[in-house]
Amino acid sequence: MSKQVFNKTNIFIAFQYLSARMKQSFLAMIGVMLGVTTFIVMINFMTGVNDFLDDAVFNGSPDIIINASAKKELENISRRTTNLLLDVTKIDNILKGDKNVQSYAHQIISPAILISDAKQFPGSINGVFPAQERNMVDLERRLIKGEGFKSLLEENSILLGVSLAKRLQVEVGDQIEMILPNGKNAALRVAGIFSFGITTIDNVRTYVSAAKLQNLLDQKNGITNVHIKLKDRDDVSLKSYLTENIDGIETEDWKDSNKTIVIGNKVRDILTWSVSLALLLVAGFGIYNILNSTVIQKRKDIAVLKTIGYSSNDVVFIFLVQSIIIGVLGAVFGGLFGYIISYLISTTPLDTSDFIIVDTYPINFKMSYYFLGLSFGILTTVFAGYFPSKKASQVDPVTIIRGI
Amino acid sequence: MILEAQHIDKYFFQPQKHQVLKDVSLIIEEGELVSIYGESGSGKSTLLYVLSTLDTNFEGDLKIKDKDITLITSPELSDFRNKHIGFVYQFHHLLPDFNVLQNVMLPAMKLSQISKEEIKEEALSLLNEVGMKAFATRSSYKLSGGQQQRVAIARALINNPSLIVADEPTGNLDQKNSEVIFELLKEITERRNKSVVIATHNSKIYQSSHRSIEMIDGVLRL
Repeated sequence: MSKQVFNKTNIFIAFQYLSARMKQSFLAMIGVMLGVTTFIVMINFMTGVNDFLDDAVFNGSPDIIINASAKKELENISRRTTNLLLDVTKIDNILKGDKNVQSYAHQIISPAILISDAKQFPGSINGVFPAQERNMVDLERRLIKGEGFKSLLEENSILLGVSLAKRLQVEVGDQIEMILPNGKNAALRVAGIFSFGITTIDNVRTYVSAAKLQNLLDQKNGITNVHIKLKDRDDVSLKSYLTENIDGIETEDWKDSNKTIVIGNKVRDILTWSVSLALLLVAGFGIYNILNSTVIQKRKDIAVLKTIGYSSNDVVFIFLVQSIIIGVLGAVFGGLFGYIISYLISTTPLDTSDFIIVDTYPINFKMSYYFLGLSFGILTTVFAGYFPSKKASQVDPVTIIRGI
Repeated sequence: MILEAQHIDKYFFQPQKHQVLKDVSLIIEEGELVSIYGESGSGKSTLLYVLSTLDTNFEGDLKIKDKDITLITSPELSDFRNKHIGFVYQFHHLLPDFNVLQNVMLPAMKLSQISKEEIKEEALSLLNEVGMKAFATRSSYKLSGGQQQRVAIARALINNPSLIVADEPTGNLDQKNSEVIFELLKEITERRNKSVVIATHNSKIYQSSHRSIEMIDGVLRL
């Protein structure tokens, strides 16, 4: 007829012991708090950076790019003055049949010199089909001024990357001139200015309508690139399938194009987890230490509790509750401070580097990280508290009472 | 009959095998105050731990309140001890992190058959009986030895147990205090018709017990 160990009396005794060692309990709680705070700040910040880069780089560029290969170039040496074109009918057939393809778009890409009243700079001219490209790049979200792809229905429109526009000193509505490698030129109106947040893109990329560029290059229906967006980005088997089945193409997937960023994300992940877990471990040892020394000091008390009718399970519970209270308080305060510090970081202005364009430090306030940090903190303390509690329950009252 | 022990043998294995209790049999009736006296090392404390269910590592039969102790599992034994046995030790053993009143209340809070308010009332009335009511909210470690022993007696009685076990209850007190504490213990248990077993050196105690038994080298001389 052993009664439930979870009862008011046992909790009362646990609290009594905790408050009798207020200072130690408080320090143990601070330990857990620091662990959880660090975990949350680090993971918020690191995943914030990861997400920002993912969003800017991966969503600004396709998952797989197909273009004509150099082999074909050698065979068709006579066509070198013009662009290398793709035979898109075969490619389209494969893409239409592949379940992992979310959308794809044809492009004709050419370098060109852009000339404004003030300056001239080289740019990469992407001739796009607005209806297709809309599914590939969410340009509306990245627009700073003017209009997005729909403005390209107007043949003489051009969309510029923000850094390029700045260099050319043009605004939406201004006229610029474009000179293509074959000598042809055209006057275009700046219809929109966009920013991907990555200088290497914003410095050179421009969009015009594919038809316009095809005309200027005398390549009616000519396509140089096919861009593919995948449903599952990690499955890039389509890439090798394409190279094996179609001659004369080169393919590149997002991992090839962004190796440094992929590795950077991985390194940040490893760093976050290892540092946070190490801190929680240290906090756990703190609790273990405190409870352990309490158990040693209180062996006499435990013996008395046992003689007056408290069972081993009661004693485990009484000591475990102490570490749970320390753990829960530490975790909750850790979560709170983690949020406050993350918030302060997220409002801190960031000096823009050449590579990234962003106003403040990117922070990811995902709820699940708080949940994770709190449960980790509590779990560590419960685990750290269990062994001393078990030890306490094994105190033999006869040995203690006889020994004194 | 409150307690019946039959043919109890007990061995110590450290430092070498040694028989501490040799074929001990003892019956304690209701309301009886029995003292066991003998030299240090004669085994009287060991017998007390066996009789009070703290030490279950023995051979033989032990019945308390007609319940066969050798058949009870550990958590149930805790409950049994809580309800039926009260303890008074040589060194008072109050819990220093709790005040006097809380110390007395702890066994009843474990039993939790009555509300906390009722427990508190009962504890205060017991403290009054042992003359310690005025100290109810004091920290227990600030009391003198005699005062602590009074509180320990109140604690032993709070669950209205059938048997009180006292191991050298006056061993740590001076002669005058010893007498006072023993008289208090005797009077309070007689009033309630409780059975008491005391292990002691003190000749005053075993002379004024209802029955006193000498223990020599693990054997009870009845």
